[in-house]
Amino acid sequence: MDRGIGSGGAFAWFFQRISGVFLLIALLAHFWVLHYSNNGDVTFNLVAQRLSTPLWKTIDLTFLVMAIIHGFYGFLMVIRDYVHNHNLRLVLVSLVWTVGIIVGVLGTLTIIAFKAPGGGGL
Amino acid sequence: MKITFKVYRFDPQSGKAPYLQDFPVEVTPGMTILDALGEIKAHQDGTLVYRRSCRSGICGSCAMKINGFNRLACETQALLLKQSVIHVEPLPGLKPIKDLAVDMEIFYEALARVKHWLINPDPPPTDKERYQSPEDFKKIEVSTSCILCASCTASCPSFWADKNYLGPAAILKAYRYSFDTRDKGFADRVGALDNKHGLWRCHTIMNCTDCCPKHINPTESICHLRRMTVENKY
Ligand code: SF4
Ligand code: SF4
Ligand code: FES
Repeated sequence: MDRGIGSGGAFAWFFQRISGVFLLIALLAHFWVLHYSNNGDVTFNLVAQRLSTPLWKTIDLTFLVMAIIHGFYGFLMVIRDYVHNHNLRLVLVSLVWTVGIIVGVLGTLTIIAFKAPGGGGL
Repeated sequence: MKITFKVYRFDPQSGKAPYLQDFPVEVTPGMTILDALGEIKAHQDGTLVYRRSCRSGICGSCAMKINGFNRLACETQALLLKQSVIHVEPLPGLKPIKDLAVDMEIFYEALARVKHWLINPDPPPTDKERYQSPEDFKKIEVSTSCILCASCTASCPSFWADKNYLGPAAILKAYRYSFDTRDKGFADRVGALDNKHGLWRCHTIMNCTDCCPKHINPTESICHLRRMTVENKY
């Protein structure tokens, strides 16, 4: 029987806590910046200007990576909890990785390539 | 007071599916579920199977599901449940053998996996026992009172979903020894703990803590061991 001795899981668990704390702070900051810092004015230009600066690109990239790892690790957890059929588990885990990587790459491209239409920034 | 006991009956040799059988019992103050089962076995149906030994909450053999909660039959007074119908079923999540008796094999096997004994390669002092101060004992005192009744593991949804999961009782034992100041065996146990069927399967649902008849908090020990594991590795 599969006893899985020594296959670990400590780092994933630990990182899930770290990314969780990061996301909590980042989300609060996000809400504040977006909805309160400019008297609640959310316009495309404003957001576009912000997203054009290297600092915000870095912040958003970190946000993206953390959110993806946190979320998709959650999916892996559910699979580990409930899917005990080896083949089905392999399929589902591969699916989670594939979708996670695609979403990550698309998000990264979007953030890095973004330029404000009116010029300015990078 | 007359109480109807709906008792889970199952005989694998009969080929019949399990069913609940009604047994009316005249219950007097102080009478426990175990007493009622004894009454049924003695006067109504001698074929009823259940486990018991000490009848005083020490041996841990009589844990069963009583009105939806895992409890010790010998420590649960029938009248205090304040119901005219009492459901008595075997512990969930473990394979029923006959009536209320379940197969405890995987429960014991999980215990063995965490090496639930004192590990210390140093020879003990020749003139006395390995010394543990009262203060050091206090740190693990609550966890030493576990009677291995399996109520906790059998109430754990993570265990229901993964029968290879160590379960709260085995992890509690790992905690009891790993945090014993005389023990040096954490390295021998970590393989079973830091494992996809180990510590990380617990999602702090706390059913185990809710039902433990000895008021132990296995969830807390799981959290301590997780911290110990992470600190040891990184
Ligand atoms: S921790 Fe409590 S519920 Fe679990 S086996 Fe020990 S005594 Fe029973
Ligand atoms: S706290 Fe953990 S071990 Fe206890 S019942 Fe919940 S999942 Fe199981
Ligand atoms: S009979 Fe021993 S604990 Fe109930």
